[in-house]
Amino acid sequence: MNPPGFARSTLAIFKKEMRVFFLSPAAYAFVAVALFLGGIFFYMGIALSGEASLRPMMSNLGVTLIFCLPLVTMRQLAEETRAGTLELLLTSPIPIGALIFGKWLAAMALCAVLLVSTAPYPAILYVLGDPDLGVLFTSYLGLFACCAAFTAAGLFASSLTRDQMVAGVGGVLLVLPFWLVSAIRDVLPEGAQLAADRLSFLAHLRSFAGGVIDTGDIAWFAGFTFVFLFLTWRSLESRRWR
Amino acid sequence: MLELAPMIETDKLTKRFGAVTAVDSVDMRIHGPGIVGFLGPNGAGKTTTMRLLTGFLPMTDGRAVVAGHDVFEEPQQVKAKVGYLPEAPPLYPELTVGEYLRFVAEIRGVPTARRLAQVGEVMERTGLRGWEDRLTGSLSKGYRQRVGLAQALVHDPPLLILDEPTSGLDPAQLVNIRKLILDLAADRTVVLSTHVLPEVERLCSRVILIHEGRLVGDGTIEELAEDVGAGPWLELVVSGAPDDISAALASVDAVDSVRRLSRETYRITGDAADGVAARVRQEGWQLKALIPHQASLQEVFVSLVGGVA
Repeated sequence: MNPPGFARSTLAIFKKEMRVFFLSPAAYAFVAVALFLGGIFFYMGIALSGEASLRPMMSNLGVTLIFCLPLVTMRQLAEETRAGTLELLLTSPIPIGALIFGKWLAAMALCAVLLVSTAPYPAILYVLGDPDLGVLFTSYLGLFACCAAFTAAGLFASSLTRDQMVAGVGGVLLVLPFWLVSAIRDVLPEGAQLAADRLSFLAHLRSFAGGVIDTGDIAWFAGFTFVFLFLTWRSLESRRWR
Repeated sequence: MLELAPMIETDKLTKRFGAVTAVDSVDMRIHGPGIVGFLGPNGAGKTTTMRLLTGFLPMTDGRAVVAGHDVFEEPQQVKAKVGYLPEAPPLYPELTVGEYLRFVAEIRGVPTARRLAQVGEVMERTGLRGWEDRLTGSLSKGYRQRVGLAQALVHDPPLLILDEPTSGLDPAQLVNIRKLILDLAADRTVVLSTHVLPEVERLCSRVILIHEGRLVGDGTIEELAEDVGAGPWLELVVSGAPDDISAALASVDAVDSVRRLSRETYRITGDAADGVAARVRQEGWQLKALIPHQASLQEVFVSLVGGVA
């Protein structure tokens, strides 16, 4: 028997993750909680600003994702470790990279499901006002970029422990600084404010919400994602050496 | 028969966890087919050795070649040729038996076109026919073990490594699983770790004994017994004899050694049943029993490991 290649291994892991997601309550809990919070922010955003766009609610949606995405990622590796199925995966001839990438893609697919189920928001905006379709599109792109980055961080947290709860809290804590840095921005000296804007995910999300696709912002989210996926890979590799 | 390359060959295989040496310079060669018993007290390093051979853990030192590939250099090739059942079957409770086995077949590289047939075949072989749609999380321990064996077999590997496959099974399940393992070993190599000695006596053509990470015995049960002086022996029960007749028995032809076990019972080694019986009759003692005993793995184990099995 020949070892399966990277693409086939990724696909196998992806399909398995999707099946397990939808057979366990985590996926439904994630979508339900995110939609509930999103609904509140959507209402408040329109009611307070009177503006037919997602812009007023984007920060809140981004922050919602920080707290909801760990519901998806927390079990992904921690549970495999606890149940001993990681031993099955790591004694199978699949590359570790494909294992992680397949899991991340599955989490992203779930995020896509979430974003698609927010379709009523733009539909309502369209009925009540005259939203800019381009801005709507870039707003969604920004949220999707947030999902990519935060799921990578959550996956890393999940690779560090066998306890799902610890993995969930860890997933939040890893991303929290990139939000809190915007909260303390205004009390910082001027030079540090610039650095804070670089670090804050909200600052990068804001330009998406304004209809701008900036390569710098894309690079920020892509880099964030890559770094945490890489750390996840190192974490799984190094655990074998301990 | 052709001299084939060994299925497993290790050279000073060593694994350290910090200051603890779990596996210490183990050299072994295992040729297939057949069942090799991997034996040792709890904590001897059995599981760690198996994890090294399957590529789950990297070795600290030494080398292992499994199914013709170096575990360190070509782990993917080794993993594709080994079927591994960890101590607890690695199941996803949300998946059905069929879904689970198809997933494992996929990650082990069974081509799409053959996947269904292959899964059907191992289900047939492990007695899981009709269980395809059951959730693995709802299975009894015996059936979980069967699914565990099925997943180890699904890519038809030439080498099966089974870590305590019979622990925690009830007697009926035990008989079934043992029969299955015997059946599987007809055309492949099976390495079976256990600390149930009668199981090894019944199943294994060869035994590897490890203790505190070191290999302390390697051979057939008879060979090992020979080495530690635990070969076949006679149990003699005699009455009406003087207090100690050890000396008289020892002088019988072909008797190697005599040891008094209790007032009327002696343990005699050597192929001397006829001579002993004749001597007892000749002396006018009463022969109450003369029982031949097989080499006992229990004794081998105790004398090599020094503890209680």
